[in-house]
Formats: sequence, structure tokens, C-alpha cells
Amino acid sequence: MTTLELIPEATAETSPWTEEGGVFWLNYSDLNVREVANAMNALQARFITVTAYQLPKEEGLRLEYHWDIDGRLLGFVFTLASKSIESIYDLCEAADWIEREIHEGFAVDFTGRVYEPLLLRSGDMMGVNLREICSPEPPAAGSVGKEEVAK
Amino acid sequence: MSYKIPMGPYHPALEEPYKLDMICEGETVSDAKLHIGFNFRGIEHLAETRNYIQVIALMERVCGICSNIHTLTLCQAMEKLTGLTPPPRAKYIRVVIAELERLHSHVLWAGIAAKLMGFKTMFMTCFELREQVMDVLQAISGNRVNYSMNRIGGVNRDIEDPMALVAMVDALEKEMVRKVIPILTTSSTARSRCAGIGVLTHEKAISCGVVGPVARASGVGQDLRRAAPYAAYDEMDFEVPVQPDGDVRARLLVRALEIMESCKILRQALTKMPAGELNTGDGKFNFITGTATSRVEAPRGEVMYSVSWREHARNPSRVHVRTPTFVNMPSVRYMVLGARLADTPLIQASIDPCYSCTDR
Repeated sequence: MTTLELIPEATAETSPWTEEGGVFWLNYSDLNVREVANAMNALQARFITVTAYQLPKEEGLRLEYHWDIDGRLLGFVFTLASKSIESIYDLCEAADWIEREIHEGFAVDFTGRVYEPLLLRSGDMMGVNLREICSPEPPAAGSVGKEEVAK
Repeated sequence: MSYKIPMGPYHPALEEPYKLDMICEGETVSDAKLHIGFNFRGIEHLAETRNYIQVIALMERVCGICSNIHTLTLCQAMEKLTGLTPPPRAKYIRVVIAELERLHSHVLWAGIAAKLMGFKTMFMTCFELREQVMDVLQAISGNRVNYSMNRIGGVNRDIEDPMALVAMVDALEKEMVRKVIPILTTSSTARSRCAGIGVLTHEKAISCGVVGPVARASGVGQDLRRAAPYAAYDEMDFEVPVQPDGDVRARLLVRALEIMESCKILRQALTKMPAGELNTGDGKFNFITGTATSRVEAPRGEVMYSVSWREHARNPSRVHVRTPTFVNMPSVRYMVLGARLADTPLIQASIDPCYSCTDR
């Protein structure tokens, strides 16, 4: 079953969509990001953004893609073990800058696209995981206040 | 012969640093590239080191114009993770502050646009009106920029006499109707500088995913206050102005009409404001493990926050901010294609860009 076929079933009792945290998530394990982008284009959904999450240790990264249909927020989750996923830039022009930002900040390689010079950072290193370079150290228990404000 | 003209990162036409590299054939722009990042502060990363109180103060500083919108969106997302629902009065106060902020932002933009048109008198008039709005915000919150109004489960301060603000709304609306809107929409100076300039077609607006007044000026009638109401917007009666032309004048008209609609919303919110508590939870709540998303219609368009938290954690594990300028900015490249070089400062300003928001 394609993503496009699944979406109209969103209100059915056996819907593959679940509402959580203000987003309708599609619980479908075998999603392909380009297939999702094509389906969203066919439904004239508006692309909003991609949110990248650094997972603990060796679990890799999670990308959450968001589209809007008439005020309803749709979410699609992709877990990356290899830090690589197909680009949807050619299907969805609005994804250009956020793909570049995630590439620069999380070192995710969006395959099938060319990166222009750095969007946000200075320097000459394109794909760098900023969290690995500069991991925020959680303060010790009970040290709330001056130390954190001073950082 | 083509040549490259850089505008920025520091340029009289830019309120904040960014760079527009334009390839010109004579006086006509044939291609353009945008460069941002001059204000990159790593705020999303920094948010992961702040607790649930500190992170509100931090995110309020993402933007100096729509600071309230950022805390509102963040608090709404955190309320989903804590299960708190703000009381009705708090929702109304959130609407009042959000609309005052929209007024202040739109009037500020009108002033800057007037300055770029070479219309300095109108710049002064707009900033005088903006000052009146900021006086009200200061009277309510004690602050002119970062109002610190929102908290998880409600608001920090009350509006003790809402009806006293109605007179300000009436006076502001009168001034807008009498001076600013007629001059900016009908004067030959404004028309010659704005009509048919910097066009973003309806199709391009959709493919670029632009939001807010930029989208509505290209015939895309989206507004989260209507499509996905939050706070007390579902109880407000208002119109969503849409213009089909996609040029600078259409963006100007949309914002002018939105000022009128904001006055209408403010009047309703102030007169219908229910009595009651300002917040729920009494400062006692727990975060559940998960991710919550919230969206708000900021003056420049949709702001979206995704907040991730682990139960019993002091700090969020992730805060992602998607600001309106981040999606509106790439469309400037299409707006300037074929434009005269002299029009490009006004064209880039017509999206009401905020690089502070964009770079975060």
C-alpha cells in the first residue's frame, strides 16, 4: 500500500495515523521519503520542515518530516543508521534550506543533490555533527543558577 | 556583459546581516544567490542546556520583534508534554499580546518599507504609531521587547483593566485608516515603487512553501489562527486578507488589512475577556517522555516548535525552531529575477525578513 493510498484513511477506525503531540503520525514501517514527498505533492500538502534528532550512542539519527494539509500537521519518521537519506529537494523545493542546515549541523548526507556553500556556519567543512564536536554538558545536580547563567 | 553586485552582509537597506549576490545584465537582475548565517548563535543547541524555566527566557531572545510568539509556541509545546491546559483568561491574554505584537511588527515594517521607498515622512508617522503600541506592551508587561508573558500553563501577568486598552486600539485604528493605509496604498509614490515589483507567482509561492503575509499576497489563503486555532482564536471573528497579485504592493496591502483585523481581534479579546485564574498547575507538573509540536501564526507567518523531553529530565533533549523567514527567504531569489537593481532593497524588505530568527 502506498502512502498516497493510506492518507485518505486517516479518519477510519483502523487508521494507520495516530495523533500525538499535535501531529498526525503515519505508523508505517516501510516508508520511503521520496514516495512520501510525491504523495504529499499529489495531495497539495505544504512542506513545513524536517527536524533532526541525535539518538543515544550508536542508534544514529531520527528525522521527522512535516507537511500541512488544511491546518492538519502530518508527520513521518525516518531513522537513519547510516547518516544518509535520499534528498527530496528535486520534488519539494521548500526542503532545500532545511536539508542543507541538517547536513551542516548533523552531517546527514542527503543523496542525489549538490550542496551549495555553507548556509549557516562559517568555515570550509560541509557536513559536521556539531553535537559531537561540542556536546552540551548537563550541569551537576543542585547547581542550578549562577553557573548555568554564566555559561 | 554580466556583473555581480553583492548586497550585504552590511548594507544600508538591510536591517540585519545577510547577503544577496545578484548577477546583473545592465540594471536588470538575471540571477541571485542568498547567504545567511551571519547571526548563527546555536540557540537550539544551547536550549538543551537550559531547564524548563530558563529555556523560555532563552527562546524569547530568538527574535527581538516577535519574542512573545516564540515563548507562546514553546509553552504550547511544553503544555502538551505536561498535560497542562491554560485557563480561559490566560488564553485571551495570549491573544491580546500576540495581536499587539502583530500590530507593532506590521507598523514597524510599514515604516521601514516607507523609508526604502524614499518616503521618510511616512517612516516617522509609522514609528510614532509603533511607539504607541509599544507603550501599551510596556504598560502590560513592564518591558518593551521581551515581555516575559508566557509560562507553562498560562501567563505571568494579568491585564488588570482590559477596557482601558480599547481606547488605544480605537485611536490606533483611526490613525491607520486616516493616514497610513490611504497614503501607502493610494499615493503615486508608493504605487510607483510597489505595483508590479518583486512578483512571486501563486505557483512559486506554493512550491517554495512560503508562509504568512508573503503567501497571502500571492493568493495562498493560509492562516493558522483560522486553520489550526490556538489560544482563544477559535472564539474570535476575523477575516484573512488575501491578495492575488504577488507583488510588493500586494504584500503591503495584506499587512495593512491585517492591521485592521488585528484591531478587530483585540477589541473582541479585550471586551470578552473572562475573569479567572492566570495559570494552571501551580508550578507543579511533570514532563512525559516524548516529542510535542506547536505552531503559531507569527506576524511574518508560521512558527513551529518541536520539543523533545525525557521524563524526570531537567532540560529538553531537543528544541527545533522553524521560523517564517527561514522558508520565505529563499523566495527572494525569484522575486528579484528580472527586477531593476534599484528595486531590490525594497523587494527583499517586502517579505519582512528577520535574520535573527532565521539564523537562530
